[in-house]
Amino acid sequence: MDKFWVVAKREYLERVRSRWFVMMTLFVPVFITAIFLIPAWVTARSAAGTGSRNIVILDATGTGLGKRVSAILTSDTTAAQRASAATAPQPQVREVTAAALPAAEDSATREVMRPNNVVGYLVLDDSTLSTRRVRYAGRNASSIVDTDKLKSAVRQAFTAVMLQREGVKPETISLISNLSLSMSQTRIDERGKGGSGQAAIFLGVGIGVLLLMSIIFHGQNVLRGVLEEKSTRVAEVVISSIKPEMLLAGKVAGAGAVGLTQQVLWIAISAYLITNFAPLVLKSAGVPVSGGGGSALGVSLGGLTVGLFIVIVLYFLFGFVFYASLLAAAGSMVNTEQDAQQAAMPIMYLLIGSWLFVNSVIVNPTGTIAKVLSWLPFSSPIIMPMRMGLSPVPWTSVAGSLAVCALGCVLAIWLAARIYRVGMLMYGKRPSLAEVARWVRYA
Amino acid sequence: MHDNDLAIDIRGVTKRYEEHVAVRDLSLQVPRGAVYGLLGPNGAGKTTTIRMLLDIIAPDAGSIAIFGRPNRESGLLNRVGYLPEERGLYRKMQVRRVLRFLAELKGLKAGEADKRIDEWLDRFGLKTKERDWGDSKVDELSRGMQQKVQFIATLIHDPDLVILDEPFSGLDPINAQALKDAVVELKRRGKTVVFSTHVMENAERMCDAVCIIARGEKVLDGQVTEVRSSSGRRNVALALVGNTAARPSENGVGQVLGDRQLVRHFDDNNRYFEIELAQGADAQDLLHRLIQAGARIERFELILPSLHQIFIERVGASNVETGMSGHG
Repeated sequence: MDKFWVVAKREYLERVRSRWFVMMTLFVPVFITAIFLIPAWVTARSAAGTGSRNIVILDATGTGLGKRVSAILTSDTTAAQRASAATAPQPQVREVTAAALPAAEDSATREVMRPNNVVGYLVLDDSTLSTRRVRYAGRNASSIVDTDKLKSAVRQAFTAVMLQREGVKPETISLISNLSLSMSQTRIDERGKGGSGQAAIFLGVGIGVLLLMSIIFHGQNVLRGVLEEKSTRVAEVVISSIKPEMLLAGKVAGAGAVGLTQQVLWIAISAYLITNFAPLVLKSAGVPVSGGGGSALGVSLGGLTVGLFIVIVLYFLFGFVFYASLLAAAGSMVNTEQDAQQAAMPIMYLLIGSWLFVNSVIVNPTGTIAKVLSWLPFSSPIIMPMRMGLSPVPWTSVAGSLAVCALGCVLAIWLAARIYRVGMLMYGKRPSLAEVARWVRYA
Repeated sequence: MHDNDLAIDIRGVTKRYEEHVAVRDLSLQVPRGAVYGLLGPNGAGKTTTIRMLLDIIAPDAGSIAIFGRPNRESGLLNRVGYLPEERGLYRKMQVRRVLRFLAELKGLKAGEADKRIDEWLDRFGLKTKERDWGDSKVDELSRGMQQKVQFIATLIHDPDLVILDEPFSGLDPINAQALKDAVVELKRRGKTVVFSTHVMENAERMCDAVCIIARGEKVLDGQVTEVRSSSGRRNVALALVGNTAARPSENGVGQVLGDRQLVRHFDDNNRYFEIELAQGADAQDLLHRLIQAGARIERFELILPSLHQIFIERVGASNVETGMSGHG
């Protein structure tokens, strides 16, 4: 057992000391922060944008619809924009007759084509009233944010005009048109109300991604490490001092510990960066921020209980041990990096294959696919924590699935150790499947 | 601790592979404190035997004991140092860390290991006032230095039994000399050294006892002097003045050596001939005939047949050739 720790210690220290580890540990959180903040920044930026206001409204309806649209566009501002509202452009409403409309459109087109002028024009005419058709032409015609804003402004104005015609009081109309709705989602299970549904999805998918990433990075590292020992021929000295099974176990444990260390650092650094940079970024986009950036982005881990946390850690360990042992065996069978990638393929298919079903599990966490995949040892580490985050799972199922998973690990280690024992000293051409099967039988 | 007088006791060991038998019913005993040579052509089964000894691979039949205890016993291999034929170290690791790792794998505590590493680095000139190579990565060392590090790794835990597989292959003369000195010193300290080689001169120079194996089977074993005299023959080493040895047939000497009544076989070593006398022939006759033939003799010496001669005779030159393709 002492030697197991010697191997695990070397594996851990050498990897943590490597430049690659330091770079990945710093780069990934920056990347994650960017993924969080750039879309938030873009959205905030366009929400604060005034593109939808710097336009000409050609109103041929004769109902004052254009003026109402203009008023709504102008009043549709957030607190931050209100400060700059004085300098922001106002829509220019031009009430024209139906006959003069084509000429007005021509001149508006020319205005848009001139630089630093209005960005587009909106046409409201008889067809707007009869068939609810609106036309818009402009530089920002493909901006979903701007056109959505215009559409909703027209809808609101249209509703107001209709209500006015029906004789509704102006105060009621203004109340209706400014009605804004917010909905909070809360999940309910046997234990009562839980965290928000979104947090559960975030948690479930997050765990899956972390496991997937650590198997891909660190599992592959085990494979590469085994290959290195083989190609530098240091393997023979090492195996003359320690049982191959113990060596394999030590390597997997060391690499797994590196993975855990890296993930803890990733999460900690990302959380730090996001909470500290989110307010800055959002402020630069013109959005006022109160409180922490994390809550501004709607992230919370409310659904995480101690029990769930323990189960997640168990699945993580089992999943890593299962895949890393098999990858180590794959590494011991071959002599070159290319052959190693090929030998690792079937194992990676199991992993990626499980991941492909994530979507259907999120959509239907109690469905047959989700249930079956949360029992198979190669997919349960990814699927089960996600399922548990999404919907309640009876503890008997969790315990059973964990037991199957542990059994799968024992089998994987047994198989890997036998392949490893023979493979480590085999040089020459890549063995066929039949040969590997023979190794397993005779080792 | 109850130890046997034998450092190694291999009995009836067989190892089969898919296509061939690597080792067949091999038995050999290595006494404690001996320098023992495992001789054989490439592919004879030397490396397989050593790997079974170290419990790297398991024999299909037979038993292996080290210091009187089964070699599978845990902790026993901590008393064994091993230098494999194919050598290598973790390339990206610091020399000191590699050595500490390998020492810890042999059950040494880190603190004790560090102390010994410094001693060894110092002794092998890898730690001088100008430069401490222990802090360099293995990559940055020359080939000769890496060989030294590898050798330190073999001996760092002060093993009672040292097993060296083809230790001289790839060594320059200086490192080969250092290795020879180290083996002699190990013996003086009561350690047992086993090494495999196909270079008979090394074995003859250093070994107390040898075992010759070919095609996975033992051909003969015993004390080197016994092995050499057991053939019941005496050979003659003959050197001629000048470099006449190269073309003996031109000066009448060839005719003498070609006489089947007198000479059974001779081997031209360039500097001298190793001559095996024919049954019943007398060395004095040979000397007389040679002088008659006008040979100018520089050396005429009765010698025991060299291990090389015995090896060639018993294993056969053809076997050496066919053995080349296999893996020992």
